[in-house]
Amino acid sequence: MDELEFRRRIYADPETTDSDVVEAAKADESKRSFWNEQKQLDKQLKQALKVDVPEDLASKLIWQQSADEFTRYKRRSRWYLAMAASVAFTVGIGLTMWYHQPLSIGGQALAHMQYAEMEHAHSLLPVDLNMVNAKLASFGGSFSEMLDGVEVANYCHLSTVRSLHLIVNTPQGKMSVFVVPERGDVSVPSEFADGQYHGESIKMKHANVMIVGDKDADLSDMKKAVSERIQFSA
Amino acid sequence: MFGRNKSDSAQVLSGMKAKHQRYEALVKAFHADIYRYAFWLIKDQSIAEDVVQETFLRAWRSLDALNDEKAAKSWLITILRRENARRFERKQFDTVDIDDCHIQDDTQHADGDLKDRELQRLLGGLSVEYREPLILQLIFGFSGEEIANQLGLNKNTVMTRLFRARNQLKEALEKQNEQRGRVNG
Repeated sequence: MDELEFRRRIYADPETTDSDVVEAAKADESKRSFWNEQKQLDKQLKQALKVDVPEDLASKLIWQQSADEFTRYKRRSRWYLAMAASVAFTVGIGLTMWYHQPLSIGGQALAHMQYAEMEHAHSLLPVDLNMVNAKLASFGGSFSEMLDGVEVANYCHLSTVRSLHLIVNTPQGKMSVFVVPERGDVSVPSEFADGQYHGESIKMKHANVMIVGDKDADLSDMKKAVSERIQFSA
Repeated sequence: MFGRNKSDSAQVLSGMKAKHQRYEALVKAFHADIYRYAFWLIKDQSIAEDVVQETFLRAWRSLDALNDEKAAKSWLITILRRENARRFERKQFDTVDIDDCHIQDDTQHADGDLKDRELQRLLGGLSVEYREPLILQLIFGFSGEEIANQLGLNKNTVMTRLFRARNQLKEALEKQNEQRGRVNG
């Protein structure tokens, strides 16, 4: 191995254990001393490379790992929180939709009829045409002539619909007349009944009128009287 | 059912604990050498520290990908080199006139004894393509083949660069001695 090749090999790796390099060194004193010199320089270089490492670097590296884990954990729990919020939101929307779905208020009218039996006038004033018309005015309606035997005229809520409830004493027993303003989400059945009462409704221009009486009562007279006398302004 | 969940979560916990221990062992074993490698690659203490932090953060996040503990060193070096390269990608977007900025070179005023300082200056003066294989060899004890794999070069290129690096150092040292000799003599 010539001098140049030997130096090349030593420069490339002073720690080499390649047999041809070792053999060449054994055979030549000057090669040996060159190699030792180079090993010495490498030792010094290794020493010089050992610059001070920032004292707290290891702790910083461990700390930043736990901080990273914590923020990732937080991000993860935020994900769950978002999920929960979204579920709650969906439930909320669902409930609102359900609440706003079309109401059938025939059943409500029947229920109110039960109370009509016990109902007393809230005011001592006699129920006359003016009073009924005053109450009906908020629905844009009026009676041209008073119905006979009206005992009570009150607002009441059939489900969420505010309506006017008249309790009328007739030869056929007590009857209820509900004036229900028209609303898109409210459906009024044309006939409805339970074990005790039955009812029919009249569809008018801006409102529905429901008449409820005893299950054997004939509602046709009352229907006729109401539809002749009530009118709605446009 | 609850019993099983409990033991599952206990397993997850002990898995996390094992991962922590593994990470801490990795930090303890390699942070000094990795920092020194970063320092000699970048020649700036605070940037080197930042890059090392970023490197270990990435190492933590993908610790599960490290299957062979023997490969840890070279795995960390690979991450660090990638992080360092990203630093330059980022820099490209906000370029500045090179004359306007002070180029930090901590190798030129590193402390230590006189001999160390002299060698440190010379090492810092080597171009990075000669310096990097040399520091991989000196700090990590990598063979020519390992350096070649790490840097994606062929072995002959690596051997040539190592040879030139030491040759330049030797020449510079001789020149200094000559000058000193002349001054002293």
